Amino acid sequence: MARRLPWRRDMRTLALLFVLLGLPLVAANAQEADAPEGAVIDAVEISGFSLYSLSPGLQKDINSLVGSPLNREGLNQLASRIEQEQPEVVAAVRGVSRPDGKARVIFLVARISDDTDLTENINARYIVETVDVEGPYNEISQQLRDDLQKLVGRRLDTDEAERLQERLEKELPGRDVARRISKGSQTGRIRVVFEIFEEPWIRFAPTRSKLVYHSQQGWSGVLDIPMSSSRSRHRFTAGVAFNDIDELIEEYSGFRLAFESRVIGTEKLGARLEFSRYNQTWEDATLTALASNPGIPELYRNRLTFEPTATFAFNPRVRINGGISISELESLSNSPNSQMANAWLFGISGDHLWQGSNDVRQRAEASYQIRAAVKGLDSDLVYKRHLGQARYQFEQGRSEAIASLSLGYITGDAPLFERFSLGNSTTLRGWDKYDISPLGGERMFHSSVEYRYSHVAVFFDTGSVWDRNTESKIRYSTGFGIHSDNSFLTVGFPLNSDGADVTFMAGVRF
Amino acid sequence: MSRSAGWQSLLPLVVIAVVAVPLAAQSVTVRTVANALHVQARGFSFIEGPVLTRLKEGRSVRIDFELTVLTKPDGPSTKQAAQGFTLSFDLWEERFAVSRIGSPPRSISHLRPRDAENWCLENLTVPVSSLGFGRDTPFWIRLAYRVHDVAPEVNQAPDERYTLRGLIDRLSRRREEADLAKSVDAGPFRLP
Repeated sequence: MARRLPWRRDMRTLALLFVLLGLPLVAANAQEADAPEGAVIDAVEISGFSLYSLSPGLQKDINSLVGSPLNREGLNQLASRIEQEQPEVVAAVRGVSRPDGKARVIFLVARISDDTDLTENINARYIVETVDVEGPYNEISQQLRDDLQKLVGRRLDTDEAERLQERLEKELPGRDVARRISKGSQTGRIRVVFEIFEEPWIRFAPTRSKLVYHSQQGWSGVLDIPMSSSRSRHRFTAGVAFNDIDELIEEYSGFRLAFESRVIGTEKLGARLEFSRYNQTWEDATLTALASNPGIPELYRNRLTFEPTATFAFNPRVRINGGISISELESLSNSPNSQMANAWLFGISGDHLWQGSNDVRQRAEASYQIRAAVKGLDSDLVYKRHLGQARYQFEQGRSEAIASLSLGYITGDAPLFERFSLGNSTTLRGWDKYDISPLGGERMFHSSVEYRYSHVAVFFDTGSVWDRNTESKIRYSTGFGIHSDNSFLTVGFPLNSDGADVTFMAGVRF
Repeated sequence: MSRSAGWQSLLPLVVIAVVAVPLAAQSVTVRTVANALHVQARGFSFIEGPVLTRLKEGRSVRIDFELTVLTKPDGPSTKQAAQGFTLSFDLWEERFAVSRIGSPPRSISHLRPRDAENWCLENLTVPVSSLGFGRDTPFWIRLAYRVHDVAPEVNQAPDERYTLRGLIDRLSRRREEADLAKSVDAGPFRLP
């Protein structure tokens, strides 16, 4: 759906609230109660519309209400006839009680195009009678269950319903959520149903969109635009890295295009093709360090990568993937000469979600990936890169604890984009990766524990990155911050540093 | 005339009918109102299949249309107009509502399916003055639409995958996907 201008929507919705379906609100403000069935009608009004726009027959029927007993069914039929004669409007009717016991009938008419909720879905005119969830209701937090029920008794707010659907998708990662509406038990009432579908066996790769600030490294901005509907089997993603210094030891900008399919004949088989081209910028610390480490492969000015992979899912929890990654690295000092870094890829990953009683949720994820660049793939650089990662998350109410562990090991001559680095907005927070190891390293371990209560977080990170011929130095950092679903604001302190630099990090990942 | 000779004389009529009925079922005509070229496409239905299912479930559907004027069949386009619409189905009135996306907004409700389809086409026009050719010049029309946000279901119960029911589901799903976009070419026309 097209994005709408919020001010326009608010203005129109507000206008319509007063003019049309907010009639109960108007009546309440005016201390006017509903007139009882059978009360004699002493006045009829039409608001927001000219009576003379209607057919003579309908005008006559409306005018003849005066003096007759109030009959709600008959009034609703007249409102319906107004809509049939004037299909660009919606009409509502109410009989309000006069102090003398008589009734005043008000037809409130408004153009559909003046209300963006109605233009998006005509059923937004109706009152929500019930909200139901079809699927694992117990896996939804109490807060979200309560918020879902807040839709009841009000006009259908399609924006709010969409937000709730997004929250469901967020609380149930990997599940697809759809929304449908059906008739309620009474005329003018509707039932909203959120359908939660079984988790797909193969999931799309998470988007890398982010805008991150690191006080020692600067800004990083990446925008991924995935193109698919929520339940589609295929997805195309166009991504732009305006500048990313957060992820790797290199600072890069460029673009990527990716096509993913999570169902190829069977939901157990998926595939992914990614093409990317990034231009590199190197920090002074890296350039200086490289001069004294001639064994490390040379710097490159741009990196062109083509990466086709396939994924096979044994079940919704465990998957393996394999493929090749072909990278051409154009030399920084001897352009247009280039080196190839062509690697076989193999990985296995698994995850599991436990939903217990008392709103306890636990999620565990683990993965291992090897990238083996070999001469057989015409690779100039020959190396093997192993990376194992594990993460455990425990949530209860507003409390959340996260523990993670990463282990990395490289043999051979890996290019700089493959070398491990620590000290960014997600690892060894408080340290600067260019102080720790400006060329990255061949060995790495990192662990982190974090506790969050509501939006406040404290953490303790431990890690080391080193080369095969150097000694490992373990570094620690701690800090605190404010986290929401997508955004964070963190202050990190290196604990065993010679200086006492404080690092400030903020950003949004979406 | 013998009985068999009578049937033989009817055969060409049957052949003509067999060929003509599908063509007539999707006939395209053009007309001009003031400076606007309108297109009418009888049988160019889009409120059906998965779109109709989704609408009847109270969901809204966005459909984008393109009307292209061509100087030759499959030739270069002279002018193209695009317009999006949001459709929904009033669950209590059991009628369709359509809103034209963009400015100025226009909406209408209480429509039957064919009326809703026609309303979309009525709001898809090309300015005659922009065509750059006269009344004697033949031209062709390409009318296309694409439905957004109607994704066929991904999952299927494992035990249904290799059954006859599963096969039917898969085949019908392909049909549903084909229904999500359609295009029709027609011509030659001349400006009325």
